[in-house]
Amino acid sequence: MSDMSFHLGEGSVRIEFDEGLYPKDAIYGAAYVFIDRCWVHLDRAGDRRIQVTLKAKKPGADTQAFAGEFQNELLGQAWRLRIVEENKKLVESITARALGGAAGPPGLDELLAMDIGEETAFEDPLGIAMSWEEKYKKKGKAEGTKAEPEGAADSASGGEKAS
Amino acid sequence: MIELRFHEELYDGFAIDEAVKTYAAYATAELSRDGGAYVVKVTAKPEATSEGIDERVLSAELANYALGLTIEKARSGGAA
Repeated sequence: MSDMSFHLGEGSVRIEFDEGLYPKDAIYGAAYVFIDRCWVHLDRAGDRRIQVTLKAKKPGADTQAFAGEFQNELLGQAWRLRIVEENKKLVESITARALGGAAGPPGLDELLAMDIGEETAFEDPLGIAMSWEEKYKKKGKAEGTKAEPEGAADSASGGEKAS
Repeated sequence: MIELRFHEELYDGFAIDEAVKTYAAYATAELSRDGGAYVVKVTAKPEATSEGIDERVLSAELANYALGLTIEKARSGGAA
């Protein structure tokens, strides 16, 4: 028996496929594409053979063209399925890595373990909440401003400039 | 009355049930199982035929709907 055969009826076409060559999912995919233009019926035509009957919804449609188009679509679907199968492990690996990377520190468990209360909520051990001026101000300068300005000290010592 | 036969390995039983429910306003359906196939006997309601709905078209649309749901279920991981 050949891998594929088709029979033209009155306004309909019947195509048979070997499930070993064209998996059921590929046949489903091709049938789904035709569901708006044709009445599609699937049946078993024997062991590991699936029979697809296409009947055009519009009278006078070229059913032979539908048969050819269906076979092309089926080939495309089968090829797509094969690519998906071949790349399945790669896609799973990339997805797992992406999910792993997204779960950066801190984790939920760490957040739940944190003691965040009214007293500890505003603790700032790293000094993040402190302003830059406050954090890096020069201690000596700050003290000097409290005492005397530099110019005032010079004039007080009677500093006359030699001309 | 039109008899539709859906092979159990190719069609989802729940999809057929759902299709029958969807078209319940237009047709009455009798469901049974016979030799590895779901058998649906479809009879168009008088209200539907009086509106010009053909029983054959109605049955074919019901079968298409059942196939569509079967494929959608198979794609989403459900068994066909």
